[in-house]
Amino acid sequence: MKKKLISTIIAATLVASTFLLGACGGNDGDTAADTGNETVTEDETDDAAPPADDVEEPDDFETGTVGTINVGIWDSNQRPGLQQIADLFTEETGIPVEISVVPWGEYWTMLEAAAAGGDLPDVMWMHSNEIQRYMDNGMLMNLNDMIAASDLLDMSAFPAGLVELYQDNGNQYGIPKDIDTIALWYNIEMFDAAGVDTPTEDWTWEDFYEAAVALTDADNGIWGTSWAPGDNQVGYWNVIYSFGGYVINDAQDASGFDNPETIRAMEFTERLVRNAMPPVEIQAENEKSVLFGAGSIAMTTEGAWMIPAFKENEAFHENVGVAMLPVDAVTGRRASIENGLGWSVAANTDMAEEAMALVEWFGSEAMQRMQAELGVTMAAFEGVSDDWVNNTDLWDLTPYVELLDYAVQRPYSRNTTVWEFTINDMLMEVWAGTADLHETLDAIVVMMNDALANE
Amino acid sequence: MARRKSANLWGWLFVLPTIIGLIVLNIYPMIRTIWQSFHRVGDFGLGNEFVGMDNYERLFAGGIFGAEIWQAAANTIFYTLLEVPLSIVIALILAVFLNGKIRGRTTFRVIFFLPMIVAPAAVAMVWRWLFNTEFGLINNVFGIRVSWLSNPNIALFSLAIIGIWSVIGYNMILFLASLQDVPRDYYEAASIDGASPIRQFFSITLPLISPMIFFVTVTRVIAGLQIFDSIFMIMGMGTGGNPALPRTQSLVYIFYRYAFINRNWGMGATVVVFLLVLIALVTAVQMIAQKKWVHYN
Amino acid sequence: MKTKAGNVEKSSKLGRILVYIILLIVSFTMLVPFLWMVLTAFMTQTESTQVNPFVIIPANWQLNNFRDVIDSMNFMRLYGVTVALIVGRVIAAVLTATLAGYAFARLEFFGKKVLFTIVVVQLMIPSQIFIIPQFQMVQSLGQLDTFFALMFPGLVTAFGTFLLRQAYLGLPRDLEEAAILDGCNIGQVFLFVMAPLVKASMVALGIFTAIFAYRELLWPLIVNRTLLPLSAALASLQGQFVTHFPRLMAAAVLATIPMIIIYLIFQKHFVEGIATAGGKL
Repeated sequence: MKKKLISTIIAATLVASTFLLGACGGNDGDTAADTGNETVTEDETDDAAPPADDVEEPDDFETGTVGTINVGIWDSNQRPGLQQIADLFTEETGIPVEISVVPWGEYWTMLEAAAAGGDLPDVMWMHSNEIQRYMDNGMLMNLNDMIAASDLLDMSAFPAGLVELYQDNGNQYGIPKDIDTIALWYNIEMFDAAGVDTPTEDWTWEDFYEAAVALTDADNGIWGTSWAPGDNQVGYWNVIYSFGGYVINDAQDASGFDNPETIRAMEFTERLVRNAMPPVEIQAENEKSVLFGAGSIAMTTEGAWMIPAFKENEAFHENVGVAMLPVDAVTGRRASIENGLGWSVAANTDMAEEAMALVEWFGSEAMQRMQAELGVTMAAFEGVSDDWVNNTDLWDLTPYVELLDYAVQRPYSRNTTVWEFTINDMLMEVWAGTADLHETLDAIVVMMNDALANE
Repeated sequence: MARRKSANLWGWLFVLPTIIGLIVLNIYPMIRTIWQSFHRVGDFGLGNEFVGMDNYERLFAGGIFGAEIWQAAANTIFYTLLEVPLSIVIALILAVFLNGKIRGRTTFRVIFFLPMIVAPAAVAMVWRWLFNTEFGLINNVFGIRVSWLSNPNIALFSLAIIGIWSVIGYNMILFLASLQDVPRDYYEAASIDGASPIRQFFSITLPLISPMIFFVTVTRVIAGLQIFDSIFMIMGMGTGGNPALPRTQSLVYIFYRYAFINRNWGMGATVVVFLLVLIALVTAVQMIAQKKWVHYN
Repeated sequence: MKTKAGNVEKSSKLGRILVYIILLIVSFTMLVPFLWMVLTAFMTQTESTQVNPFVIIPANWQLNNFRDVIDSMNFMRLYGVTVALIVGRVIAAVLTATLAGYAFARLEFFGKKVLFTIVVVQLMIPSQIFIIPQFQMVQSLGQLDTFFALMFPGLVTAFGTFLLRQAYLGLPRDLEEAAILDGCNIGQVFLFVMAPLVKASMVALGIFTAIFAYRELLWPLIVNRTLLPLSAALASLQGQFVTHFPRLMAAAVLATIPMIIIYLIFQKHFVEGIATAGGKL
C-alpha cells in the first residue's frame, strides 16, 4: 500500500510532465486523472517506478551492498582496530565487511527502529542495558548450533557472568567481545604540589576521600576528583558494591537503594561531592577526563574503553599514573564495575552463515588477542588481556587487568535506561544541594520498583 | 463547460504529487501519532494495547510525568517569549539602520545572515565552548564565572541568546525587503512637517510594515514553540547530565526522550498532541489579535 | 532658522556615527563564535583548556586537529552526499510546489478548499512527530541507509506550495487569458507563460530548501548508518571527541567552510530569495 503511494507520486509527476511536452493547441489527452489518485497510474506504476528508483539512488550511494556483512557499532575509537580484524576475515573468506559507527545516543534509537521493521545490521554490538528486550522479542539469532560446531570458539574461556548476560533459556544470543573495568587515574604533579602521597594498592575509600579533600583548592579551580550524577558505572556504583551494597537485586525486581550498605556508600559519595568535587554545573559542562587533562581535578576514575582516546590526548601523556580502585575499610572489599559488550547476529539476516562466521571470528582466541594487542579494548577471552597492557608505554595499565579479579557485573534489568536515567536526574538535585539525600534515595526506591514492576 | 472540466483535470494533476506526498509523509503520520497517544505501544512498536485516556490522565494527574511536561510547556513558552520579541526588535532596528544611506550595507547584511548557514551541530559545539564555565572565552575574557549553560536560572536565557544570534539575520532580511517597499515621499513629507526620525519610525514605518512583522511573529512563534535542535545538542549531551535540563527542556525534547530514549511511544505521542494544541491556540490568538494592530492597505 | 538647520545636521551626523558604531558592535558579536571556532581549531588540547593565562591566539598554528578529523571522517564523501541531498531536495520541492502552487492559485477544481487546508495545517506541525511513521515507511520500502531515505521527507513541501501560490496570486490574469485564446491548454499556459514569471519565488524556495536540507539533524541520524550528510555526521563526532574541543572545532570549521563559500558567491540570491519569499507570504 505504502509502496504504491510512493510510486504513484513519482509516476504522477512523470505523467504530468509528459502532458506538458506537446505544442500549444494540442488537445487534453486522456482523462485518467478525473477520479483522483487511484486511477492515474494503476498501469504506469510498474513501468515508472524502476527508472524513478534509478534516479533516486545513484550507484555511488548504494551502501547496503549484497554480499557485504554490515556491522553496527557505537564507538568510533574502536573502528580502525576492528576493521583490521575484519579485513583478516575478508582475506580468509572473501566476504567483505563494512563497519559503521552510530554514536551511542542514536545507536539505540536506530536499532530500535530497525528492529521494529526487521532490518537490523547483520552483526551488531549489544549491551547489558538492552540485550534482554532484543532476546525476548526474537530479534537476535540463536548461536547455539554455531557454537557447538565451532573449532574456533571456546565459550568456557570467557567470564561466566558475561556469557550468561547474553543468554536466555540456555540459548546464546551474543559472543562476548570485550571486558572493561574501572581504574583510578591520578596527576602526579598535583599530588606532589599538594604534598599528598600518591594512591597505593592499600588505599581505603577513606584514604581516597582525605587525599581528595587535601588536593582540593576550590578558590583556584582545583578539586580532588569529579563524579557527575551520571557517572555511575565509572563512579559511585563502584563505591556501592565495595561497601557491600547493590543497585538492583539479583532477581532484578527490586531497587537496592534502601539497602543500608548502599545508603552508607551514598552518604560517602555525598561527602565527596560536597568537599572534594567541582560544582555540578562544571561537572555538567565538562567530562571529568577534560577536567583531569586540564589539571582541574587531580584524580579521575575511568573505564578501560577510554584508553584509545587518552592515547591521542597529549594532556594525559606526562605525570599521569594509574592505580587500583580503593577498598572499603569495613568490608575489606574492592569492586570494579565490569561490563562487556557482545557480538550478536540479527535473527532475520539474509547472510546468516556469513554473519555467524564473522562473530565466530571475532570471538576466536587469535582475534581476541589481536584486539587486545592493538589496544582496541581489553578482550573478553581469558588471559589475553596481558597483551592489552602492553599496547602502550605511556602508562602501566596493569591495575585494569588486576581489577578483573574484583569485577562486579554492571547492574541491569530488562529496560535499564528507564530507571538509570531517572536516577541520574533525581541525584542531580542532591549534587546541586537542593534535595536531601535520604529523601531522594527513598524516592528512587519507589520510582525504581515501579519501573521494574512495569517491565 | 469544457474549460471547467479541463481545469478540474489539470488542477488535480498539478496538486496530486504534493497532496499525495503530504498525505503519505505528514497527514498519515500525524493521525498515526494521535492514534498512538491512546495506546501503550509494545517493544519495537509491536503490539499496541488500547489504554483510552490513560496517557492524557497521566499528563494532567501530576506526578513525575505531569510535572515534567508542564514544566517543559512553561520552558517552551518562556523561551519563545524571550527569543521572538527580542530577535524581532533587534532585527527591526538593524533593518532600519541598513535601510538608510549606509556604506558597506552588503557586508553587514552578509555578516548578520551568516549564522543561518551554519549546521546546528556546529552552532551547538561552538556555543557550548564559548559558554563553558571553566575554559570558555566569555568567562575568561570578562573575568566572571557564570555557568551559562548549566545554571538552571540562567541556561534558558543563554539558549535564547543562541536562538537570537541564529535568527536575527533572517528576520532582518525580511524586514529590509518590506522597508524598501515603503515610499520615500512619505518620509520626505514627514520631514518637512518636522517629525523626528523616531517619530517617523513609529507613525510611518511601523504601520506600513506591520503585515511583515505579523508574518515574522507568527512563523517565529511556531518555530520557537518547536525548539529542539539546540536543546538536544547542547543540554542533552554529555554523560554527566545537566542540572539545568529540567528547567530548559522543551516539549519537543520531552517527546524525543519519551519516544526514543524511554521507548514509551504512547506517552511521546501524547506530548506531541499537547504541543499541537498549544501551537494551534497560540496561532489562533495571534490571528484574532492582528486585527488590532496590523494595517493592510 | 539657520542654527536650527545646523543643529539638525549636526545631530544627524552624530546619529549616523552612532549607527555605524552599533552596526560594527553587532557585526563583531555575530562574528565572535566564528572567530573562536577558527582560533580553537588551531590550538593544542592543552592550550584550549589553559586558563592561567588564558590563550586566545595559539602559540604555533598547528594543523594536527584538521588532520585527525579528516582521518576519522571522509569529508569528501560527506560533501558529496550533502550536495547531492541539497540538489535532490531542491529539485523535488521546486517541481512539486510550482505545479501545486499554480493549481491552488488559479485553477478551480473539485476539493480545492479541503486540499488547501491540508497544506496550511501542515505548516504548523512540528516535524519530529512524523519521524517514527516516516521511518517505518522507508523501512518497509527496504530503503534504509540509502539516498532515497535522506530525500524522503523532503519530496514535497507544504511551505513551498504556499509560497508559490502566493507568487502566482500576484500575477495579472490577462496574461493567461491571452495564451488560452491562442489555443494553449492549461498545462502549456502554466509551462510557457506562468511558471517563468515566478522564477524569483522558485529561487527563493530553492534557497530555503537548501538551507533546511543542510541543517537537518535527527532524520539522517535515525534513518541512515553509513550515508550521512555533513550536519548529522558532525553531530556524531561530538560523542567521539568529547574530550577534545580543538578537534571538534576543526570539524566544525571543515563542515562550515563550503557552505560559507557557496553563500558568499550567491549571497545576493540568498538575500533576494528570502526577501521575495517573505514578501509573498
